[in-house]
Amino acid sequence: MKARATILLLVLTGMSHTVVSQNLLDILEDEQQDIPQYTQATFKFSRIAFGHSIETRKKGLLDIFVANRFWNTPEERTQSFAADRLSTRIALEYGISDKFLVGVGGTTFDGLFDGFVKYKLVQQRSDQKGSPISITLLQSTSYFSEALASPNIEDDFSHRLSFTSQMLIGKKITPNFSLQIVPTFVHRGLVLSSEDPQNHFAIGFGGRYKLGNHVSVVSEYYYTANPIKSFDTYGPFALGVNWEIGDVMLQFMLTNAVRMVEDAYITRTRHNFNFRNPNLNFGFNMTYVIHFKRKLKNVTDGKH
Amino acid sequence: MNKLIPIIFLFVFYGQPPMQEKIIARQGRVAFFSYTAVENIKAENNQVLSIIDLSTHEIAVSMLMNAFVFEKALMREHFNESYVESDIYPKATFEGKIIDFDPTIEGDQTRMVRGTFSMHGVTKELEIKTKIENLGGKYTLSGTFEAYVKDYNIKIPPLLAGNIAKTISVDFRFEYEPYEG
Repeated sequence: MKARATILLLVLTGMSHTVVSQNLLDILEDEQQDIPQYTQATFKFSRIAFGHSIETRKKGLLDIFVANRFWNTPEERTQSFAADRLSTRIALEYGISDKFLVGVGGTTFDGLFDGFVKYKLVQQRSDQKGSPISITLLQSTSYFSEALASPNIEDDFSHRLSFTSQMLIGKKITPNFSLQIVPTFVHRGLVLSSEDPQNHFAIGFGGRYKLGNHVSVVSEYYYTANPIKSFDTYGPFALGVNWEIGDVMLQFMLTNAVRMVEDAYITRTRHNFNFRNPNLNFGFNMTYVIHFKRKLKNVTDGKH
Repeated sequence: MNKLIPIIFLFVFYGQPPMQEKIIARQGRVAFFSYTAVENIKAENNQVLSIIDLSTHEIAVSMLMNAFVFEKALMREHFNESYVESDIYPKATFEGKIIDFDPTIEGDQTRMVRGTFSMHGVTKELEIKTKIENLGGKYTLSGTFEAYVKDYNIKIPPLLAGNIAKTISVDFRFEYEPYEG
């Protein structure tokens, strides 16, 4: 009886010993559990190719965003340098908070001036708790500034405005692969033909695959459920490469979307994606990032 | 039965080392610095965890890579996404022993900490000179060491080779409090 009790005690104390000498790193692991882990960089830019991504900018960051589209006219012989046509959209985008981005821009080819607000509503978390997806809301407005030939078209200020509302739903599926689905509502201001709807429903799909630490392949497509009837339109598609380094981000793409403002490329892309002129556009976007807010002003290592 | 009681005591004390005390730092600070002619980069993490077992002199440190704050917000994104790949390797950890550590000494002592450091999937043996302060049972560890970027399999694109130093100087400071396990 005594011997049995002694063995029992030996076992018990032995067990308590192993509990006490639990690995120190395991203790730290338990301590770390409570810090929420949000998924970072589902996409790297505020755009995937031509369309918005779920990403906003951090507080105090200004993006100087220059987007270009180059294409050729169908004429057999043209004497233009490099490309027959060029459209440029220059925009400024500023992060008011880590979740709230505002931007304004102007496009040369179609005379659209646009502005948008974008808010990160839900952020995906990578620690299996919380939301498995990210949701960002976008509201953009564009103003058509060019003169209209027909006197029968209502073209006061409010009729020249178009509105796009998007709910961007994205998920970083693996560290290298992200997907996005974008239910979209577009209201066009100008009524050029009475048979055309003014309100459009569309859905967008976008994806990014990281090839290396600084380079990724991206693709995007928008489908419009009730397109314009008075002329043929096609879904904008793009296949591109995004490259980021330091404060500069470059995007190269092949696309059929000439226009660069949401309502315009979603509802009014008049060419399908193929390699004929003028359907094929080469797109080149450049973003330069300026930091207006710098952290760690007081951090030094004592030597410098 | 009376004989059993001393035996119980014997086993209880055998089972537990004499000084079973752990101290933990929950808001440890680790900062790193890269100095080049082109650009100075600094980053700081104020949420580093560290624990010391005062009886065995063992120490462990664990930090989340995405908790490093940079001067420029975009650098933090690049750091996590393109350099340390914190989606795949979220943590850096250190596990080792403080050599010749005497927890009973009041005031300052400088000791070597020897152990293994793991980051970005690479494990390295490290020996770090550390200053240990003990003010009435309140321990603080601090020190500086150098790390080679190349050692940790972190690739720097040739275009930015001039912007990021080959050796990164690392600063740390942990203030400990008793750990209630």
